[in-house]
Amino acid sequence: MRWNLAYRTLFHDRGKLIAGLVGVIFSVVLVNIQGGLFFGLVNKASMLVDRSNADIWIGHRGMHNVDFAHPIPERYRYTVAGVEGVAEVQPLKLQFVNMALPGGKYQQVLLVGVAESTNLGRAYSIVDGPQDAINRNDAIILDRCDDDKLDSPQVGELREVNGRRVRVAGKSNGILNFLVTPYVFANYDDAIEIGGSNPDETSYLLVRLAPNADCQRVCRDIRTLLPELDVMTSDQYASLSINHWITRTGLGLSFGAATLLGLLVGLVMVGQTLYAMVLDRVGEYATLRAIGLGERELLSILAFQSALVASIGIAIGMVITIILKTLLSSPKATIEIPLMLYVGCGVLIFAICLFAAGLPYLRVRRIDPHTALQS
Amino acid sequence: MTTTNTGTTASTPTDVPVGVQPGQGPASGQKTSAITNHALEAKAIAKSYVIGGQSRPVLDGIDFHVDPGECVFLAGPSGSGKTTLLSILGLLLTSDSGQLLLKGRRVDRLTEVERTLVRRERIGFVFQRFQLINGLTAEDNVSIPLTMDGMPLREARDRAGALLCRMGLEDHRKALPTSMSPGQCQRVALARAVINEPELILADEPTAALDGKSGQAVMELLHQLTKEFASSTVVVTHDPRIYQYADRICEMENGKFK
Repeated sequence: MRWNLAYRTLFHDRGKLIAGLVGVIFSVVLVNIQGGLFFGLVNKASMLVDRSNADIWIGHRGMHNVDFAHPIPERYRYTVAGVEGVAEVQPLKLQFVNMALPGGKYQQVLLVGVAESTNLGRAYSIVDGPQDAINRNDAIILDRCDDDKLDSPQVGELREVNGRRVRVAGKSNGILNFLVTPYVFANYDDAIEIGGSNPDETSYLLVRLAPNADCQRVCRDIRTLLPELDVMTSDQYASLSINHWITRTGLGLSFGAATLLGLLVGLVMVGQTLYAMVLDRVGEYATLRAIGLGERELLSILAFQSALVASIGIAIGMVITIILKTLLSSPKATIEIPLMLYVGCGVLIFAICLFAAGLPYLRVRRIDPHTALQS
Repeated sequence: MTTTNTGTTASTPTDVPVGVQPGQGPASGQKTSAITNHALEAKAIAKSYVIGGQSRPVLDGIDFHVDPGECVFLAGPSGSGKTTLLSILGLLLTSDSGQLLLKGRRVDRLTEVERTLVRRERIGFVFQRFQLINGLTAEDNVSIPLTMDGMPLREARDRAGALLCRMGLEDHRKALPTSMSPGQCQRVALARAVINEPELILADEPTAALDGKSGQAVMELLHQLTKEFASSTVVVTHDPRIYQYADRICEMENGKFK
């Protein structure tokens, strides 16, 4: 009966029910979209690592972010290739250079030199131009999302990078840097030449493991042989790169604050709605108390109503979130909502709604059943 | 019908709280039925309210009783203490002093939880303004006392529906209170009060919000049902048109019986 009473009285006052639902839906959508934007943004910090097809990254001692590399001896690749369990080792060169734009302006870009004969380090996939574009002479690959910054380069167009003429041979889509600096991919030898770097030095050594090789053991063996370098699995380096931006920029704090605000709004709206519903029904609650409904039973009615508002609100909020994600997510503003965020958000908001039932309960506790005779 | 007040003749009752289930708990076997046969007995009930920093007596040592199956009316001018006495008899208020016995067992010293359970199981209330739950149908409103006792909703609805049919509300079983007339609402409220056949029914001006015809109809039903269920009834009223339904009328003035 309590459940019947709870949901019938809840649905009887549709205006207040809708107000409560709006609060929950707002919270769910805000938390998920904020969280999704956050994950979408920070994942850019590790995009080069995540899509590198490598199992292990080797770089300078104290490497903390994939975009800020320091030179290491390129010859170490042969040392690494000799480690048991290593199937392939390739160098990866990263260097900040300037690209001249048609209007006479310059745009700083991050030149990424990848080996020709392998897919190690090829984080991009060609969507415009030939698939083997990078193997052509003086070829570069740009990303569509950087068209605005680079004055809309077309495939086949000539550009000048660090004073050298190069040809835009292909375009990728969605390989974006956490910084505002566009990635420009070139083959390894061209990248050394364009950047004017020492060919004996590289930025990273990328390792692909042999089937069934123990990644941690291979890392340990490489560290033993090359103690002056850092050796990490791809997952470790991706996390390190993300943490670098989260901690150095305060990004986590600002997104966290906005998310907290969303939760707070939801809490206040649900609590306020339930409280208003109780205020409207003080007479009914007094009557129920008078005819023998206990305080705990009243609390269970309020908790059930909160749980109902939360469940319906979370379900609608999730659907709206998925629709918004589908409509709004783009490579530039990626909304990545992992399953754990959906689940965590749902559980958290459900708990908050139950907590919000405490506010009207404080009012219900003060209801004197004697007032039923006075109204 | 007599217009009088009869003081209680019982000797000092045992000081044992009423258990949740009649016949259970430490009170079982210790009831004072040998001492009193009253369904409800109040002894030297006093109650004061603090108004403007000053204590103002509302009830001044009231002695009162109702016998099984008896219907007693409390009459008197506004402010004479009728509703306060009804609240104390219904365990909605606590008295400052005095004793209250329900079927010979003291109930004036119970905890709030115990008082709630006594109200649920042994007392039916009829309110002046019906006090129905607006979100529930007539049938569900009447089912509340049964389901609070643990009866499944479906079974409770069947019983409530049958009672409503008896009361001439078969077409309004699924109606919400907002779509019924005051007379119909009060009949639903009456059904809610008697559905679990309580030992005591307390009615606070049950005809005050009704026209004369509806008031008579409600009182007729109350009279019939309380006789059928052998419930004792206390009715607070100003309405002399319904005095015919009283077995006894107690007139109050300034917190005392005349």
